[in-house]
Amino acid sequence: MARAKTTADAFNAIAEPHRRTILTLLKGEERAVSEIAEAMGMNQPAVSKHLRVLREVGLVYVHPEGKERRYGLDARGLEPVYGWTGGFSRYWNESFDRLNTYVKEMEGEKGDGARPVRS
Amino acid sequence: MAHALSDRELAVSRLIEGRRETVFQVFTEVSHLSQWWGPTGFTTTTRTFEFSEGGVWEFTMHAPDGTDYPEWIKWIDIRPPELIVLVHGERPDDPERFTTTIEFDERQGGTQVTLRTEFQTKALRDKAVEQFGALEGGEQTLSSLARYVATRKKKLPDE
Repeated sequence: MARAKTTADAFNAIAEPHRRTILTLLKGEERAVSEIAEAMGMNQPAVSKHLRVLREVGLVYVHPEGKERRYGLDARGLEPVYGWTGGFSRYWNESFDRLNTYVKEMEGEKGDGARPVRS
Repeated sequence: MAHALSDRELAVSRLIEGRRETVFQVFTEVSHLSQWWGPTGFTTTTRTFEFSEGGVWEFTMHAPDGTDYPEWIKWIDIRPPELIVLVHGERPDDPERFTTTIEFDERQGGTQVTLRTEFQTKALRDKAVEQFGALEGGEQTLSSLARYVATRKKKLPDE
């Protein structure tokens, strides 16, 4: 049986490890192809090829800035993956996210830890 | 992980940035638990709460899509500030109830919380991988990252 095309959907696109690394690099900040290539130790044409796949499935957007094209993560494209993985891991990872925020706030209010004591 | 997992177990571990006493404390009082228990967007309403060995927490989890889920927890073993063991189900006679062990270890930068759940069968374990807490259906709750990125994208001129 023929394999599904890499651009069939987000699942097929992120099956490739380099493309997952690119998405991680694009979390939180836009980057140019040259920056991604440097961070990954790959050549630019190879990175461009991966970016094209990621754009086709809606995981990455392009932001033209002057002469440069900067790429960013569009996490909305990951919705089907979140929905499918769901389950135990997501339940607890999200609970732990909230727990961590809550504990940091608590210790901040009491003046413990790294935060300054309120006068 | 302290030991290899059996085919009836699932585990998750996270470094929480707080002192062990604090992290343990927020597992022991309902005013704290209700602030963080459950996936993003979920809230809880408590009917009964007694944190003691043999004590019970009965509550309802409200999903972001409006669905309510009954929850029942009974504490089996409590060793402050190191360990909590509890049984968890929808109600006391839930045939699919499972046992969860939570360990608190002091680490550089915080407290490592390791949660290990043992289901009654491998089939129930597998079901939990896919379904446990994945309750919102189509009304997907995105992580804060996703919200951040989506907001950012809307602001971009070249959509």
